[in-house]
Amino acid sequence: MKRNALTLVVGVILLVIFVLLLFTFQVRQTEKVVLTTFDKPSSAPIEKPGLYFKWPVPVQRVYRFDKRIHNFEDEFEQMLTRDGNNILASVFVGWTITKPLEFFNSFPAGKPEAAEPALKSLVRSTKQAVIGQHPFSDFVSSDPKQVKFEEVEKQVFDSVAQSAEAKYGVKIEFVGIKRIGLPESVTGKVFERMTAERQREIDRIKSEGDRESTQIKSAADRDRAEILAKATAEAISIRGEAEAQATKFFNVQNENAELAVYLMKLKALEHSLTNNATLVLTPDTSPFDVLKSKMPTVQTNGNPTQAPNGPKLSENLDANK
Amino acid sequence: MERNIQKIGVINFVILLIAGGISYILARYSNSLAGQVGAVFFGIGFFVTLISFFQMGLEEKERIEKLEFDEIAREKNAASLFSTEAETFPARKSREQFERFFLPGFTVVLFLAQAASAYFLWKWLNSAIVVGPQQGMVALSLYGVLALILFLLGKYSANIARFENQRLLRPGASFLVLNAYICATIAIALGLTYGGVAKADLWLGRALIIVLGLTAVESLLNLIFEVYRPRVRGKQERLVYESRLLGLLAQPEGIFTTAAHALDYQFGFKVSETWVYRFMEKALAWLILLQLVVLVLSTCFVFVSPGEEALLERFGRAARADNLLRPGLHLKMPWPVDKVFRFRTDEIQSFTIGQGVEKDHGSTITWSVKHEEQPMNLMVAAKDSGSRTNGGGGGVPVDLLTVGIPVQYQIKDVRAYAYNHVDSGALLEKIATREVVKYLVGVDLFDIMSSGKAKASVDLQKAIQDRADKLALGVKIILVGLEDIHPPQKVVAAFENVVGARQEVQAKIRQAEGYAVAARTSAEGQAVKQVHDAESYKADRVASAEAQAAQFKNQLLAYRAAPSVYMNRAYLQVWLNSLTNARLYVVTSTNTHDVYQLDLQDKINVDIGSSIPIPEKK
Repeated sequence: MKRNALTLVVGVILLVIFVLLLFTFQVRQTEKVVLTTFDKPSSAPIEKPGLYFKWPVPVQRVYRFDKRIHNFEDEFEQMLTRDGNNILASVFVGWTITKPLEFFNSFPAGKPEAAEPALKSLVRSTKQAVIGQHPFSDFVSSDPKQVKFEEVEKQVFDSVAQSAEAKYGVKIEFVGIKRIGLPESVTGKVFERMTAERQREIDRIKSEGDRESTQIKSAADRDRAEILAKATAEAISIRGEAEAQATKFFNVQNENAELAVYLMKLKALEHSLTNNATLVLTPDTSPFDVLKSKMPTVQTNGNPTQAPNGPKLSENLDANK
Repeated sequence: MERNIQKIGVINFVILLIAGGISYILARYSNSLAGQVGAVFFGIGFFVTLISFFQMGLEEKERIEKLEFDEIAREKNAASLFSTEAETFPARKSREQFERFFLPGFTVVLFLAQAASAYFLWKWLNSAIVVGPQQGMVALSLYGVLALILFLLGKYSANIARFENQRLLRPGASFLVLNAYICATIAIALGLTYGGVAKADLWLGRALIIVLGLTAVESLLNLIFEVYRPRVRGKQERLVYESRLLGLLAQPEGIFTTAAHALDYQFGFKVSETWVYRFMEKALAWLILLQLVVLVLSTCFVFVSPGEEALLERFGRAARADNLLRPGLHLKMPWPVDKVFRFRTDEIQSFTIGQGVEKDHGSTITWSVKHEEQPMNLMVAAKDSGSRTNGGGGGVPVDLLTVGIPVQYQIKDVRAYAYNHVDSGALLEKIATREVVKYLVGVDLFDIMSSGKAKASVDLQKAIQDRADKLALGVKIILVGLEDIHPPQKVVAAFENVVGARQEVQAKIRQAEGYAVAARTSAEGQAVKQVHDAESYKADRVASAEAQAAQFKNQLLAYRAAPSVYMNRAYLQVWLNSLTNARLYVVTSTNTHDVYQLDLQDKINVDIGSSIPIPEKK
C-alpha cells in the first residue's frame, strides 16, 4: 500500500508537469506572441513577457515573433548611376516586427525568413531608383566630403520605410550601403589602366634616373676637364718659367755664337744619326777625305815621320763597321 | 510463452533504437565526446538485436511447422505426402539457409562496421576540439535515468534468456545492459569533468573505442572459428554474431553466478539468485523519484564559467532588476521557471571583411601568390585624377584594392547584445564592411597601403565602434587589422616592376656616381702629374741650361786655345760616338756618270732558329 502511494505521488508529479507544459507557455522579453484559437488569431498580440495559459494543441497554437531588430543583406547587383557608369551595390536593412497580426497574415506562419524575400524585393527596386539619381562621384571620390553614402542611405530608408510599414507590418530601422564595386568587365579595364599607370611610373622613374645619371657623369666630365685644363695651364707656366730661367744661361753662348751653333749642330747630328742610319758619302766628306789626300808629315822629335798608311785606316774603317 | 519471448525481442530493439537516439541527442546537447562514441554501441546493438529477433521468428515458424507435421504424421504417413525434406520442412530449410548464408554475411558486415567505426572514431577523437561538456548536471541526470531503465530491461531479458534457455534473447540483453553501463560511466565521467577532472570524458571516449575495436577483432575470430568448427546435427549452436566479450562486460556477475552456484552446491543453501532484480523491483519507484528530484535540483544551480556572463530570465522576464550573472555559482528556480542564457563575454570573437589568408597557405605571404580563395576587391579613390578613369568613361578616378581585414570584438554589454538584435554578430559584420567600404572610397591607394595604414586602422576602429554604439550592439571593437590589403593579383606584377625600376635607376645612379668619382680622381691625378712633369722639365731645363752654359764656357776656352783642332776634334768625336753603327756608303768616283744602285733595305735576320724557342726537356 505504501509502495502504491509512492508510485501515485510520482505519477501525479509527472502528470502535473505534463499538464503544465500542455496548458502554459512563456513569452520572452525578446518576443511578441500571437495566439490562435482553431487557427483564428486572437485580437491582440501578447507583447509583455511572462507566463500565460492556453488550451493545448490543436485548440490553441502559439506563434512567436522575435521583436528584436532583424537584419538582412540584399544582392550585390549591377546598376547605372546618373552619369551612366556601371556600379555594383548591396545594402543591408534592419527591421522589426511592429504589427505581429499583420505580419502573421502577410507571411506563411509569420516566419521572418518568409518576410525577407518580400522586403528584399522592395529594397532592391528602391536602391536602384535612388542610385540612378546620383552620379558616380557620390560613391567614390578622393575628397571624402564628396562621398554621399549617408544621403543615399537616407533616401533608400525614407522610401522603403513607408512602404514596408504599410504593406507588411514591419518597421525599417536602418538602411546601410554594405558594399559597392565594379562589374567584371570594368574591373578588367581598371586593371589595365592601373597597369598602364604603373608603366608610366616606371618610365618616369627610369627617365629621371637617366637624367640624374647623365647629370652626374657630365658634371664629372666637366670637372675632369677643368682640373686637367688648370693643370695644363700650370704646367705650361712652369715650363715657361723654365725657359725663362734657362735663357739666362744661354747668354753665355753669345760670347761666340758661331761656335755655339756649330756645337749644337754637332749635337743634333749625333742625335739624328742613331738607329742604323745609312749615309751615302763622297770621299770629300771628312774624315773620308783622308782617302784622297796625301799623308801629312808628322814631326817626331824634330824629324818628320810617316803617318799611318792607308790600309791601316781602311782596317780601322772595317773595324768600325 | 514463445510469443512473450518475441515481444521482449521487439521491446529490446525498439528500446535500443529510442535510447540510442536520446543518448546521441544528449551527447550533442552536453557536448560529451564519450556520449557520442557510446551512441555507436546503441546503433550496433540495435542491428544485432533486430537480427536475433528475425532469427527468433524463423525458429518459431520452424517449431510450429514441426508441431503441425507431428500432428499430420500421427494421422497419415508423411512420407507419402511429401517427396523431399525441403518440401516437408520449408520453415526449417529457411532457418538453415538463414544461418548458413545470411548470418556469416551479417557478421562480416558487423565486423566491418565495428572496425570502421573504431578507426574513424579514433581519428575524430584525436582531432576533436575538447571544449568540455556543457549543461553537465542536466545531462548527468538524464544519463542516469537512461542507465537505470536500460539496466532493468537488460537484466530482465538476461534472466529470461538464462532461465528459459532463450539464447536469441542474449545478444539484445547483453547490449541493453552494456549500454546501461556505458550511460552510467558517461554520467560518472560528466560528474568527474564537472568536478575538475577535465579529461575524464575524453578518456572514457577512448576506452569505449578500444572496446569497440576489441569487439571487431572478436567478430573476425568468430567468423574464422565458424568456418572450422565441428557441426553436430541437432546440437544448439552458439550465435556467430554474439560477442562473448560484450556478454562478459554486460553481465560480469555471470562469472560470480557460476561461482555462486558452485557455492550453493558446496554449502547447500542459496547465496545468489537475482538479488539485484529483487532489489530493483522494490526500489524502482524510489529510484525514479530520486532521479526526478536530482534532475530538478540540478537545474537550480548555475555555474557561470570564467569569461562568461549569463542572463537570468523568469518566465521570460528579467528575473530581477540586475539579471546579469557573473562567473561563479548562482541559485535559481528550477527549469522551466528560470532559464539562463550564457554569453562568452571575455572571448575575442572575430570575422574577416573580404577573405583572410587560407589556413594552409604557409608562413610566407606575397602579393603575387594567391593566398585567398576568392579575393574581395574594393574601390579606392585615386588622387591623381588627371590620368585616371573608372573604365566606364566617366572620368572618375578609381583604383581597386584586395582586402582581407580581420575585425576582433568582445561583448561589452550582454543585455544590449542579447536583446536588441536578432543576430548581433552578423549585423556587426555588415556595418564593419560598410565602414571599410566608405572609408576606402575616400582615400588614396598608396596612402592606405603605406603611411596612412596605421591611421586608417584607428579611424576604422572608431568608425565601426561609433556605428555599433549607435545601433546599441553592445560590443567593443578590439582591432581592425589592415595587414592584408594589397593591389589585386592581376596588377601586382606592374606594382613590383615599379619597385624594380626604382632599383634599376638607383643602380644606374650609383654607376654614374662611381664614374664621376673615378673621372675626378683620375683627372686630379693627371693634373698633378702634368704639374710635376712641368716642374721636372723646369728643373731639368734650368739645370741643363746651367750645365750647358758652364760646358760652353769651358769649350770656349778650349776653342780659343786651338780653334781648328777643337772644331775638328768635336766633329770627329761625333763620328766616333754616333756613326760607328751607321751603314756608310762612300762613293769614291765623283767625275763619272755611273748609276749606282744601292739596296737600302734592312737585312732580314737569316738566323730563323734564333726566333723559335727551344722546347724544354720534360
